[in-house]
Amino acid sequence: MIRRVLTSRSAAAASYLLSPPSTVPAILAPYASRALSTTSPSSAKVPAVRSTLPTDYPLPSQQKPQNVIDYAMTTLDAIANWARQGSFWPMTFGLACCAVEMMHLSGPRYDQDRVGIIFRASPRQSDIMIVAGTLTNKMAPALRQVYDQMPEPRWVISMGSCANGGGYYHYSYSVVRGCDRIVPVDVYVPGCPPTSEALMYGVLQLQKKMRLQKITRLWYRSR
Amino acid sequence: MSSSLIRVIRNIRRVGLKDYFRQLNAIGDTKYGRLVGVDRYGNKFFENTTEDEIHMRTRWVQYKEWYYDVSQIEPGWHGWLGYLVDTPPNQLSPEQKTVRKYPTPEVVPNGTGTRNAYVPYSTVKPKVSMWSPTVKERTA
Repeated sequence: MIRRVLTSRSAAAASYLLSPPSTVPAILAPYASRALSTTSPSSAKVPAVRSTLPTDYPLPSQQKPQNVIDYAMTTLDAIANWARQGSFWPMTFGLACCAVEMMHLSGPRYDQDRVGIIFRASPRQSDIMIVAGTLTNKMAPALRQVYDQMPEPRWVISMGSCANGGGYYHYSYSVVRGCDRIVPVDVYVPGCPPTSEALMYGVLQLQKKMRLQKITRLWYRSR
Repeated sequence: MSSSLIRVIRNIRRVGLKDYFRQLNAIGDTKYGRLVGVDRYGNKFFENTTEDEIHMRTRWVQYKEWYYDVSQIEPGWHGWLGYLVDTPPNQLSPEQKTVRKYPTPEVVPNGTGTRNAYVPYSTVKPKVSMWSPTVKERTA
């Protein structure tokens, strides 16, 4: 019985979908020309937007050097990226409990100094900003100002679900729903709060991103 | 024990110069130990419990790749490496091994920044629909 009902319903749906434009119900008449734009003569007014850009091309990180200049630029980039990975100086922006895990990263167990991470108290000396914790509306202008005071090149790690997208306080009246509404974020570390290991892994991912950057090569190609 | 010049020189003579530089890149120490096993990705796992290594530093991994990532390690070996279990996965008896219903065919490292990067897509119906203005034909 159930099966028969189901089949009859699906048959009705199929007949509705396959029905010609003349049998469209009256309530759907204004939308008939849009829904069946391939057969309607009025479809010529609305051109179909379809991108002709290629979608299958190598990423910049997959392109290999081809000539002498490319190799030289690759070497220069490698030196610059190596220096940037080795002097990973984050701006301390601890806002909530995530900051405690960030402090554990600087402790002896996870020992951030061995990968060149030194917390700086001044944004003018730092390369990275780790937004650790809930970003409130009141703190947001200060965060942006600190970000603007950091010298280029600069990166941002968003740590914890509050900084990623508001998290627990997403529906609060006073919390920014993600610090990427204020500053551009490179790495999102999930967790509530993330462990120190997770933050370390985010740091390693950001180092990977630095390693794949092509500063002089893109400058050379864009000329 | 912590690093001393005698220990470093002794371990360089044991592991060779090539592995010495690999270890400096990865763990920043010169260690020598027994090769416990190799996982499917090709990472080598070592252990040294006989000599005076620091507590919780008696097991370590030598990655296959120069640009290593912890997601290249198999889950079982990762547990062994973090002292979660004492029996390495290659010494488990067949009845101790977990049989998954959907076994992973190979080790899939984190593909962030590469072609294998995870790209999320939304499966819910969009709450906002596009408005396409239509003008009625003039009849006059």
